[in-house]
Amino acid sequence: MATKTLTVVVSQSPSKNPAKRHLEEELVAACMLDDTVDVAVVPHLYNLDSNHTGTLFLQGLRGHLVVLSWMYPRASHWLLDRTGIKGHQGETMLEEEDEDEDIEIPEPQGVGGVELPPRNLYCLDLGVDSDPAVFLEEIARIVEELRSVAAAAAPSDETVQTVELMDWISGSPKPEQLEKYLDPMSVLTGGEDIEPVKRRWYPVIDYERCTNCMECIDFCLFGVYGVDTLDRILVEEQDNCKKGCPACSRVCPENAIVFPQHKEPAVAGALGDVGALKIDLSKLFGNITGLDAAVSERDVELLRDGREAVGASVGMPKRQPDQDSTQRDEIDDLFDGLDAMDL
Amino acid sequence: MPMTDNLVFMMGEYEALVPGDRRYAENHLWLKDDGDALKVGLTSYAVRLLQDVFFLDWTIDSDTEVRGRQEIGEIESSKAVSSLFAPCDGHVLEFNDAPLEDPSAINTSGYDEGWLYRFRTQATLLSPQDYLEVLNDGWEDTQRMIKGQLN
Repeated sequence: MATKTLTVVVSQSPSKNPAKRHLEEELVAACMLDDTVDVAVVPHLYNLDSNHTGTLFLQGLRGHLVVLSWMYPRASHWLLDRTGIKGHQGETMLEEEDEDEDIEIPEPQGVGGVELPPRNLYCLDLGVDSDPAVFLEEIARIVEELRSVAAAAAPSDETVQTVELMDWISGSPKPEQLEKYLDPMSVLTGGEDIEPVKRRWYPVIDYERCTNCMECIDFCLFGVYGVDTLDRILVEEQDNCKKGCPACSRVCPENAIVFPQHKEPAVAGALGDVGALKIDLSKLFGNITGLDAAVSERDVELLRDGREAVGASVGMPKRQPDQDSTQRDEIDDLFDGLDAMDL
Repeated sequence: MPMTDNLVFMMGEYEALVPGDRRYAENHLWLKDDGDALKVGLTSYAVRLLQDVFFLDWTIDSDTEVRGRQEIGEIESSKAVSSLFAPCDGHVLEFNDAPLEDPSAINTSGYDEGWLYRFRTQATLLSPQDYLEVLNDGWEDTQRMIKGQLN
């Protein structure tokens, strides 16, 4: 029996755009013919709630995962983590379109994930290329990478089997999850068998960046945030979130809060610190700043709920990056930016 | 069904229908009496410019007060990705779920099945004739805009 190295999960776009559908179908077809991987199709991950069969199915999967979705990789990784589909972040060689190689991305200082099982999650953004070959090459590269790691760890063939068995023992799949895992064909393309989903809107915390500073829980007045048993910040009540409102993401000093469906790449989880690293000259010309935008977005939602607007009187961030000693302003940022450009 | 005169706006060769049984907003939405509220949808003119609609999403919840020209959603089609804006001050009561799941009705039945949401407003709306004038006045600019974006 051929041992499958990993499972490839294709998360469908909620859009009927034929170009997107075509890419998804090409990838599924190619993976089905590839005997080194299993393949499964689920609806758009962001819209799956905790009771959806797609969620249960994913939770039942053991072993390494490649997840292809129409979201930035940070967004899908931490979305899966929040749903209990955990793993170490697998490094991918795919590059985001707007990734700027000249900009140095600061080393994340966050609290990181907890209770990560011994497997990798490789989250790939289907938006980076319209050519299926790009993704298939990356999947092939990952298969090779995993094989060489496994071979290095365990030179004999038999030990590889043992590792997989261990994965099974450490997990506790429910019968219905097991069934789906053993019969991934049932959720493959066609979509008729896939349970429908409703559109959802809620924040996703990137724990690689989150420092547990609690600015978000102080700022949000809608009861979205809570803390877990480790006193770690948690998106506790996802559906309390106000559709379209990304205010907490703007007040987060580490850019750790992602709204995958927001149209601003910095809010949707684009790699790098898009908002903070680029010199935003529009601020100098009187454009609304991130914090002002957050305050007004929150007020709009409060008024819609029939509550009083609070303006800047409640939950204002006490710390922002690089503001430890002296109060910085846009001009400081601008000059630092110019210095960094090494003119 | 008694029909007041339907009007037609010629977009080159294409006949964009402006049904006489409803009112309009300048941002190419129709508003039709529907019991205690109005049904709102995209006019044939707008749909012709969008072409095939692939995806519709709302950035507000239902049962929400909105201001005129407030951004409330997004539409993706074969020709464009565009924000959608409220027609005027009013109250969005509920969205039509059908085009969220499959937006093709916006193309096949834009004046009927493809309605977008139910709405309540006190604002003065355009008559079919008024809307036709809006289209006449804007057509030159629209053509320039489309050509500009194609180049």
